[in-house]
Amino acid sequence: MAEYDEDSKRLTVKLVYYGPAQCGKTTNLMRLHDLARPAMKGEIMTLETQHDRTLFFDLLPLGFRAASGLLVRFRLFTVPGQVAHNATRKAVLSRADGVVFVADSQRNQTVNNGESFQQLAENAARSGLDFEQLPLVVQFNKRDLPDVLSEEEVRQRWRHANWPLMFASALTGVGVRATLATLLGVVFARLDGAYDLASRHGIDQAAFVDGALGGVAEEAVR
Amino acid sequence: MTDPGSGFDRDFALRELLQGISLDALASALSGLLGPQAGLSDARGETLCGEARGTAPTASLYVEFEAVGSLSGAPAERLNATKQLVDLLLDARRRYLMVCDLHTEAIAADYLELQKRHAELQASEQRYRNLTAQLEQRVGEQVAIIEGKQRQLYEAEKLASIGQLAAGVAHEINNPIGFVRSNLSTAQGYVERLDEFAALLRGGANAVQAWDGRDLDFMLEDFKELLRESTEGIDRVARIVKDLKGFSSVDRPDEEVVNLNDNLESVCALVSGQIPQGVALLRHFGELPPLLCLPGHLNQVFLNLLNNALQAVGGKGDVTVSSELREGEILVRIADTGPGMEAPVAARIFEPFFTTREVGRGTGLGLTVARDIVQAHGGHIEVSTAPGAGAAFTVRLPV
Repeated sequence: MAEYDEDSKRLTVKLVYYGPAQCGKTTNLMRLHDLARPAMKGEIMTLETQHDRTLFFDLLPLGFRAASGLLVRFRLFTVPGQVAHNATRKAVLSRADGVVFVADSQRNQTVNNGESFQQLAENAARSGLDFEQLPLVVQFNKRDLPDVLSEEEVRQRWRHANWPLMFASALTGVGVRATLATLLGVVFARLDGAYDLASRHGIDQAAFVDGALGGVAEEAVR
Repeated sequence: MTDPGSGFDRDFALRELLQGISLDALASALSGLLGPQAGLSDARGETLCGEARGTAPTASLYVEFEAVGSLSGAPAERLNATKQLVDLLLDARRRYLMVCDLHTEAIAADYLELQKRHAELQASEQRYRNLTAQLEQRVGEQVAIIEGKQRQLYEAEKLASIGQLAAGVAHEINNPIGFVRSNLSTAQGYVERLDEFAALLRGGANAVQAWDGRDLDFMLEDFKELLRESTEGIDRVARIVKDLKGFSSVDRPDEEVVNLNDNLESVCALVSGQIPQGVALLRHFGELPPLLCLPGHLNQVFLNLLNNALQAVGGKGDVTVSSELREGEILVRIADTGPGMEAPVAARIFEPFFTTREVGRGTGLGLTVARDIVQAHGGHIEVSTAPGAGAAFTVRLPV
């Protein structure tokens, strides 16, 4: 659960972008850095990469201060996607308040997506998260590529799952903000229940989402 | 759940971020840039390095929108540039600390996982060890059961051949007993006729007339013949009983010194009554030295081979029993002119339970028993055969 410090009036929300190798987790964060217009936005901390692949994590901090004086910080992490780094993935995932599962829409990535999602569930359970209750949004990325699963196919395959399905093209920025906004909506519902964000700090869901993303309409950067 | 205050993604206090950096060197650098009033203090206002003079301008230091401390010194324009420098330093330090802690967490998790796997493997290995130990015990038990059953079958096979023998012999004995019995009843009639003759003589009848009138000449001749026949029949029974005695010690074996030709003779005699018309049983016995052996057991071997040979020839053919001494070994050969065997069959005939006969007609143990008996005498048994060329079994026994 989020870190809520009554004395220093601070709420820290940890969100994790999880998914198979090279599905576009870091690209999501980079586009958010460009597109989000919150009151507070830090630089992306991109940790040592090897051939454009994340070794430890990326971190994008966003934040706003509510009228009540409460500082709400969003810490957006990515995990390393390569199979060998599972222990690192699990450590980054621990204490997460919400997860974006980034799937690769290309037809030949179906197996990798499935394995990664399976491992997400296992890692969540091992790091003490209740996967059934964990706020989760599934983003099908790389919609701009040829030979991707159609939206109908994706919806058909995920029809028994209860998680919101989003479609995005992180490279061009399409769907990136919407994905995060959807996750923030789910996360807000849980945090409001726990910390009375609306009644005590005057933060409703729209204010919560806007606080992270800013009111600027989504735009393509290319 | 992991304590949020210990994870790689916790908030770092300024003091923690500066750990490992020489504060004296930092103070000296700061005072070079910001004059003698240069100083660094944490979020609670405690001085970490340099001088904290209340009068100097200050700039707050933020990490992720949170003030973690302040920098003081003059002039104001340099204070800002120096703050940017300190921000870069803190950023680099934070990056380093996060990676260090994350790496440690990941390694610890990997290590735990490895230990868990190791424990599982050990448990699994133990399970297999137990299983193996039990397996040996269980196989041992099953083998003991099977061996017990086989021993029973083996004994049954020995007795079965004796049983067959008994059936044949009963027939042999019944025959002479039958005609001896009939002769005796005829003799009974003759004795009555002699009684009548005696009565006539006592009544004063003419002896010659009375003798001739009763055809007693013929009766006397027939009486002699009848006694001779009966004696022969009884002798035959006696001989059969004597031959049978060779098998009487199967269950209580005693070693004896014998001439194997005598044994072969008895065995041939025992089966001779059951030989069909078209079959000739030929004997070629050579000179044999005396042999210390279990004659009852060897008789069983010869009987077995002889019965097999007779079965092989069926209604027509020759069965030859021969013996000789060659190079310190007694060779007993029982050959038939039957159909012979294919090589794959011949290779397996001594195996337990191998049989070419219909189910129920043979246990498949006859030749196994024979081989075991011969081996117990230090000898061996072999077969030479080909399809259409008959079969010859040779028993070799060292003298």
